[in-house]
Amino acid sequence: MSFSKYISGIFKALKSLIGGMRETWKELWTKKVTMQYPENRKTLVISDRWRSELIMPHDENNEHACTACGICMMNCPNGTITVTPKMIETEDGKKKKILDTHIWNYGTCTFCNLCVITCPSNAIIFNNDFEGAVFNKSKLIHQLNHEGSKLREKKKEPVAVKTPTTTSSDSTATPATNKDEIISKVKENNSLTASVGGNDSTNVEKTVEQPKQTNNNKDKTNE
Amino acid sequence: MKDIKEVILDAVSNAVIEEKQKLTVTVEPKQLHSLLEALYNNPELPFDYLISLIGMDWGDKLGVIYLLSSTKDLSKEIVVITATADRENPLLYSVTDLYGTAHLNEREIYALYGIRFINNPDMRRFLLRDDWNGFPFRKDYDENPDLNPITVVSQEIEDEIPRIIENEKGELVEETVHVFEDDDYIINIGPQHPSTHGVMHFRTALEGEIVKKVDVISGYIHRGIEKLCENMTYPQILHFTDRLDYMSANINRHALCMCVEKAAEIEIPERAEYIRVIMDELQRISSHLLAWSSQCNDLGATTAFIYGIREREHVLDIFDKTCGGRLIVNQNVVGGVMFDIYPDFQKDVKAFIPYMRKSLIQYDKFFTHNAIALGRMVNVGILPIEDAISYGVTGPAGRASGLSCDVRLHKPYSLYNKVEFKEVIRTKGDSYARYQNRLDEIEQSLHIIEQLIDNIPEGPIVAKVKPVLKLPEGQYFQSVEAGKGEFGVFIESHGDKNPYRVKFRSPSMAAVSVMPLICKGEKLSDLIGISGSMDFVIPDIDR
Amino acid sequence: MLLLNYSQPLELSGIIESVDTFLRTNMSPGWATFVEGVIVCVAILALYCIIALALIYIERKITAFFQARLGPNRLGPYGVIQSIADMVKILIKEIIHINRSDKFLFYAAPFFVIVSSFLAFGVIPFGIDLQAIDFNIGVFFYTAASSIGIIGVLLAGWSSNNKYSMLGAMRSGAQFVSYELSAGFALMTIVVLSGTMQFSELVEGQRYCWNLFNGHISSIIAFIIFMISGHAETNRGPFDLPEAESELTAGYHTEYSGLTFGFFYLAEYLNMFIYCSIATTVFLGGWMPIQIPGLDALNEVMWYIPSYVWFFGKTGLLIFLSLWVRWSFPRLRIDHLLNLEWKYLLPINLVNLLVMVVIVLTDTSLAGLFPSLLATN
Repeated sequence: MSFSKYISGIFKALKSLIGGMRETWKELWTKKVTMQYPENRKTLVISDRWRSELIMPHDENNEHACTACGICMMNCPNGTITVTPKMIETEDGKKKKILDTHIWNYGTCTFCNLCVITCPSNAIIFNNDFEGAVFNKSKLIHQLNHEGSKLREKKKEPVAVKTPTTTSSDSTATPATNKDEIISKVKENNSLTASVGGNDSTNVEKTVEQPKQTNNNKDKTNE
Repeated sequence: MKDIKEVILDAVSNAVIEEKQKLTVTVEPKQLHSLLEALYNNPELPFDYLISLIGMDWGDKLGVIYLLSSTKDLSKEIVVITATADRENPLLYSVTDLYGTAHLNEREIYALYGIRFINNPDMRRFLLRDDWNGFPFRKDYDENPDLNPITVVSQEIEDEIPRIIENEKGELVEETVHVFEDDDYIINIGPQHPSTHGVMHFRTALEGEIVKKVDVISGYIHRGIEKLCENMTYPQILHFTDRLDYMSANINRHALCMCVEKAAEIEIPERAEYIRVIMDELQRISSHLLAWSSQCNDLGATTAFIYGIREREHVLDIFDKTCGGRLIVNQNVVGGVMFDIYPDFQKDVKAFIPYMRKSLIQYDKFFTHNAIALGRMVNVGILPIEDAISYGVTGPAGRASGLSCDVRLHKPYSLYNKVEFKEVIRTKGDSYARYQNRLDEIEQSLHIIEQLIDNIPEGPIVAKVKPVLKLPEGQYFQSVEAGKGEFGVFIESHGDKNPYRVKFRSPSMAAVSVMPLICKGEKLSDLIGISGSMDFVIPDIDR
Repeated sequence: MLLLNYSQPLELSGIIESVDTFLRTNMSPGWATFVEGVIVCVAILALYCIIALALIYIERKITAFFQARLGPNRLGPYGVIQSIADMVKILIKEIIHINRSDKFLFYAAPFFVIVSSFLAFGVIPFGIDLQAIDFNIGVFFYTAASSIGIIGVLLAGWSSNNKYSMLGAMRSGAQFVSYELSAGFALMTIVVLSGTMQFSELVEGQRYCWNLFNGHISSIIAFIIFMISGHAETNRGPFDLPEAESELTAGYHTEYSGLTFGFFYLAEYLNMFIYCSIATTVFLGGWMPIQIPGLDALNEVMWYIPSYVWFFGKTGLLIFLSLWVRWSFPRLRIDHLLNLEWKYLLPINLVNLLVMVVIVLTDTSLAGLFPSLLATN
C-alpha cells in the first residue's frame, strides 16, 4: 500500500461516512412516521376492505340472511366456523331447517375470506374492527347470529345495506353466480358494531348498495 | 429433446420415457445415479440444476421425483422418477456428489418418508428430531399423539451422524461419525437469536472469531403444510402459501394458482393477470426492502432498518387497501383475483414509484458507499457460480454469483413476456453483490409496474371455476420468481378434489444449505452478515 | 477562585463557600473535612444518577428522531419520566443466579465497571469550584481510573459461563487495550500544548483560545482521534462489538439482570458523558465561557451565563455528535477495528504528537503566533 493510497483511503472513507451522516441529519428534521395509537383512534383510517372480525349483519327486525346451509363451514380450511342448524315446523306444517347458532372462532381464523366469498346468501362479512384483543380465550369464540334473530323472508325486498366493507360486491363474482340477481338491500343493525366490538369510533362506515343474489337454489348444496 | 432421449437411453437402456407436462423418465433405483450422472455430464445441455427433490408415497411404493433443469437453458426440464417397493428399509442412492442441494433435501425426505440415501455423508433427519416415531408424510402414518408426546424437558442435540456408505466392493456399510471434534468451541447461533430471522439454528464451531464449521438445524416451526394440503380442497390450500415465505406471500400464491389453473385448464381474465403481476412486483419490492433493512440491521445499522421498514409500509398500505391484508394478502384465487383494485389504486402506486426512487438514492448515500459497510460486505461470503448452481441458489443471491436464473425471463409466465425488464446480474458473488442486486431489482420492479399500471384492461377479475374443483390425474409443476428465488409448486393429483401430494420448492432452503460452505473461514460477525445477505426466511424452509 | 472580579450571580461558589465556613465554625477541622467529604460523595452520586437518567432519555429521544420515530412518549409529557420508570423496574427486578458461574467474580464485575466510572467522574470540573478534587495530574488520573472498567467487563464475560459473554469480553479486552493507547496519546498531545495536566489550569489556559484551535491542525487531529477512541473505549456504536446486539445478543452482560445489569447500563451511559466532558475540558475550554479579547462588554455578558451551563452545553454538543455518529454507521468487524487502531490512528497519533512538539517548540500555536490577541497571561 503506497503512502498516497493510504492517505487518499482515509479521506475517501471519511467522505463516505460524512455522506451517511448527512442523510441522518436530514432525517432528524423530517416528519416522524410512527403513529400515536390509541390517541389517534378518532383519525385513524382503516382501509375499507380490512378483514378483522366476521359478523353477520342483522337488520332492524333482527333478521339475518343465513340459511344454515353450512357452505362456509365446509369451505373453512381449519374448522373455525361451526354452523348448527335446527329443524322447525312452519305454520303450514312443513319441516324447515333454520339457523340455530353460527359460531366463529376469532382465535383460529386465518382470514382467508373463503367463507365470505362462497356464502350463497351473503350472510356474513368481515368488518373493520381490528381491536380484537381480549383477556380470555373463550371470549374469542363469537356467536354471529343474535339472540332471537330469524331468517329474512325473501319477498322482503329493498332494504338499505349499511356495511363497513365494500369487498363482497367484488368478491361475489365467484363461481356459480346465480343469474337472477335481485338487488336486495339489508340495513345493518346499528347496534351490531357496538355490541360485538365495543368500538364504534374506528369503523369507517359506508353506505353501499350491495348486489345480492337470491338463495333459491342454493339450499341443495348443503348436503 | 430427441437428443436428450438418446442420452437417457444410452445411460439406462430400460428407462421408461413419457411425454407428460414435462419429459418424464422412470428408472430403477440402482440405475438412478448413472442416469443423473449422464444427464449432468451431457455436454450440449448439462442438467446441472436440481430444482426440486420430491419424496413420494404411492402406497405400494416409496419414491423420489427429481426435477432437473439446465442452467444453460432453464426452460428445458426433465422429471426423473424412481421408487422402491421396500417399505421397511427403503434405500435409494444419493445424488449429493452431483447436486449440493440434494443434501438437505434427502435428509428432509428421510425424516418425512423414511427413505435413506446411500452415500449421503450425513443421514440425520432434517426438520424432525432423530427420535421421532414414524414417518409423518407416509400415507399409513399413525397420527396418535401418544407416539410422539410433547416433551417439556430439554432434549440434547445428538452430535452423531449415521450414514450408509457403499464401499469399493459394492457392500453397504452403516457407520457413525461426529459432527464436531471433541475440542471444538461450539456456539449456538439460534434458535433464539436476533439475527437468524426466525427460529434457525446454526451450531457453529469457532476458532477464536473464525468460523470453522456450521451445522444447520431447522424444523423448529415445521408445520407440515404439505401434509395438511393433502386433506384440503384446492381453494383451501391457497391460504397456506401466504404462510411459507411471508415476504413473497402473493407471489407464492400466484404460483399455486397458476399450477391449478394449468391443470384444470382455466383461462384467467386479462385484468386479473395485470392485477396479479402488479401485486407480485409490489410484493417483490417489499420483500427486497425488508431484506435490505434486515441486512443493514445485521451489520449493526439499526437506523437503516427503520428507513427500509418505513418505505415498505407504503407497499403494505396499498396491499391493505386492495385486499384487506398487509402481510398475508390473500389476493389470488383459482381463476383470478379475489379483490378488484380500489379506485385510487393507480394513483397510489404512481405516487409510490417516484417516492421509492428517491428512497433508493437515499439508501445509496446512506449505506451503499459507506466505508464501514463496504468493509463488512465486499469479498465476504463469496459464493462461486459452480456452488450456486450445485446448491440451487437462485434469486438475487444466485444472480449475484453470475447465475442467470430469473424465472420471469427464462420461463415467462403471466404477463412477463409482455413487459420489458433487465435481469440484474453481478459476477462477484459476495455479500455486496447480493446487496446491490436487491436494490437494483427494486428499480426493475418499479419499471415493470410503470409499464402496466396505466394499461389495466377492463373486464372481469375472476374466471368461472367449478364449485368443486377436481384436477385431472397427473403431475403438475409451476415455478415463479419469488422475492428470494425460484419458488416452485408440485401437485400430484389422482383426480380427486384433494391433491395426492403437494410440494413447495423453497428458495430459502437452498440459501441455507449453502451457508456452511460460504461461512467457513469467515468471522463470526460475517456469519451474521452473510445470513442477512442470503436473505432466507425460516417458515419457507420449515414449511 | 480566580475570576471573582466578574459578577456571577448564578454561580454556586457562594453556596459552597458558606457551607464550608458554616461547617468549619461549628466543628473541628477533621470532622468538617469528613462531613464535607460525605456531602461531596452524596452530591457526586446523585449527579451521577441524574445525569445517567437524563442521558438515557435524551439518547432514546434523539435516536428516535434520527430514525423517523417518536421515541418514548407514554410516561409523562413527551415521555420524560420514562427512564425513571425504567430505573424503578430495574431496581425491583430479580437478580437471576446463573448455574455454574463463578459467583464471586460474577457479582464483583459490575462494581469494577461502576467504580471506575465513578472515579473518573470525580475529577471532572463541572464549573467554577464545582470539582471534587483538582489533582495536579488530573488527565493522568482520568486515564488510569477509566481503564479499571475493562477488568469488570472481562470478569463479567469470564464468570458468566456463557460463550456469547466470553466472546464479547474478549472483543472488549482487545478493543479497550488498543484504543486506550490512542486516547492517551491524543491527551498527551494537548498536555504538550498546554504544559499542564491539571484540569483547572487546562481550562484557565483556554480562556481566549480553545486548545482545539490553539494547536490548529495538530489539535484538530488529536480531537478527532480522541473522540473516535472515546467511542471505542465506551463500547458505543459503531464500535459496540462487545455487545453487538445482532451478533452476540448482549455480549458480556448477557447473563446479568436487575440491578447488576443496571450497573453496566448506567456505567455505559456515564462513560459516554465522562469522555465527552473530558473532551470538553481538554479541547473546548471546559466551563470557560466564550471570551473574545478586546470585546469586554460581550465577555462580561458571557459570564452572566453560569459556568456549569457552559460546561453542560459543550458536553451536550459532543454527546449529540456521538449519538449522530452512532446511529449513522454500521458496526465494524473486530479485525477492522484493530486495523483502524494499529494501522491508522496510532501511527497518525505518533506523528501528530511529534508535530505538536514542533509547534510548541517553534511557538507556532495560535497563541504563539498572535500573542497580543490570545495569550492568557
